[in-house]
Amino acid sequence: MPEDGETGRPLAPQELSDSFPSMSAAVLVVDDEPHIRRALRNALAGDFQRVLEAASAQEAVDLAAAHRPDIVILDLGLPDRPGQWVCAELRKWSSVPIIVLSAHHGESEKIRLLDEGADDYVTKPFSPAELLARVRAQLRRAHTAEPDGAGASVTIGDLVIDPGARTVRKSGEDVHLTPTEWELLRAFLRHAGKTLTHRQLFQAVWATSSGDPQQYLRVYVANLRRKLEPDAVRPALIITEPGVGYRFETGA
Amino acid sequence: MTRSSRLVAGLVLWVVIAAVATFVLWTFRGSLDEAHFALAYLLVVLGASAREGRVVGLVLAVLCFVLFNFFLLPPYYSLAIEDTLAWWVLVAFLVTGTVAAELLYRAQRAVALAEQRAVEIERLAEEARHVEALREADRLKDAMLASVSHDLRTPLTSIRATAAEIRAEGNESAAIIEEEAERLNRFVTDLLDLSRIRADALPTEAEINAADDLIGAALERVRALPGAELIDVRLPADPSVPVGRFDFVQALRALGNLLENALRHSPAGTPVELEVFRSGGALVFEVRDRGPGVPREHRERLFEPFQTGSPRGGAGGTGLGLAIARGAARAQGGDVEYRPREGGGSVFALRLPAADVPGLS
Repeated sequence: MPEDGETGRPLAPQELSDSFPSMSAAVLVVDDEPHIRRALRNALAGDFQRVLEAASAQEAVDLAAAHRPDIVILDLGLPDRPGQWVCAELRKWSSVPIIVLSAHHGESEKIRLLDEGADDYVTKPFSPAELLARVRAQLRRAHTAEPDGAGASVTIGDLVIDPGARTVRKSGEDVHLTPTEWELLRAFLRHAGKTLTHRQLFQAVWATSSGDPQQYLRVYVANLRRKLEPDAVRPALIITEPGVGYRFETGA
Repeated sequence: MTRSSRLVAGLVLWVVIAAVATFVLWTFRGSLDEAHFALAYLLVVLGASAREGRVVGLVLAVLCFVLFNFFLLPPYYSLAIEDTLAWWVLVAFLVTGTVAAELLYRAQRAVALAEQRAVEIERLAEEARHVEALREADRLKDAMLASVSHDLRTPLTSIRATAAEIRAEGNESAAIIEEEAERLNRFVTDLLDLSRIRADALPTEAEINAADDLIGAALERVRALPGAELIDVRLPADPSVPVGRFDFVQALRALGNLLENALRHSPAGTPVELEVFRSGGALVFEVRDRGPGVPREHRERLFEPFQTGSPRGGAGGTGLGLAIARGAARAQGGDVEYRPREGGGSVFALRLPAADVPGLS
């Protein structure tokens, strides 16, 4: 059984590249459906040394506390308690990435979970490949030192973003961003790979101020996209999660 | 029997009764005094009022007054009166009879009103019970829909995941299971949407949204369909982002369905066009294809659900896409319209409320 210290070790960047070859220690799968657990176990077995399984909310919290998994995959339709409870319990002591599995297509539930501290969600029925991609993205994010928005410059494709100097270069040319667009980009960089709800973005960009500018959040995002993305209607950087929010993709 | 003929029949009956009463009283007039006559006539007047209503009651009061005077008060067979006291009795009788008839009428009307109110209250209570039952049915339906969607998606997830696993082991047939599971899932989603549209229960939340964003999300939704990579997106030449005030999720459902529909009916290799422009107070998204178009006789029913018999259904769709697209648009003050495309094919226009945004810093 690997030590906790070992699982928390930040991986060097080359280990994180493309096919994600290095095995993470443990994943916790929480679902009351044995068939789904089995399918996920098989899908995840290639990436993890151990796949822990829980069939109830209480079991999930107990297992997480005992084994400190690297990532949690959490179904919302648990028999004993709502998924939000598991989320809240885990967030009391852990920042482990949580990916929520939701069978409902309602957006409000996903928003609530993300605001509660979940990092991403997948809607049932999902393909294992889709889930695996999300899992890898979350692990990559968790293992990368979070940029504080004022640190070293970031290179994504032909974009070079220097938060310290507040400059963005696209294919070597300077891109002019408005102050709000800068705040938005900083928020995205700070939480790269995480699905941010509209509310979380409001708070990150406008902090405590409220009112007029907030209703234009989506327009600010569209403007930022037009400045940064090669094709604004086929975005690769700022991904829309319909009805929920946005996700900033740096790994693609 | 009509109301007036019933009145006449009642009047005749009570006139006869009054005549009989007069004859009886006349026979015994030697052993009776004025007070007895007055009481007897009063009974007749009250009876007439009670049975036939105010009008007959009043007529009977006057008639009895005359009969009383003519046959029973001396001098007999004349309307003259010799005794002052008898005259007073007669007047008192007329007043009492009239007032009694009136009072009886009012009492009866009050009773009738009360009865009518009781019926009304009973009807309202019944209606309230009905509304409550409907509400309960609605709640049940929502709960059932949520439960059906959950209960269907859970096994679908198992089926899909297991099929993916089998495919990963090298069995390509498992891809069919995956595809069909996905189709079943789309069908469940469409049925849920349609039932919400039918119940006017589509949740909408109008926000300021950018056209780029909606188009991007719709392209992402249809990405896996053949021809999706060819979709030709045309934005206005104006460098500012076109903006509308609409519910993003519902608008996405509408535009996604229109794109999917266009892709399914486009000949291979022919790009589907998607153009966005502002038209007055509307933000218009036009989806144009070079498919077979829609014959005139099918156009009217194009947006009705399950039109798989028409050239627009089938082809892997659920037959609900256009009905949902229009429902999702109309739920937020927009619409979806069809027109034939010049040079062959179809144009589906999604109109959503446009919005104006000040310069943003």
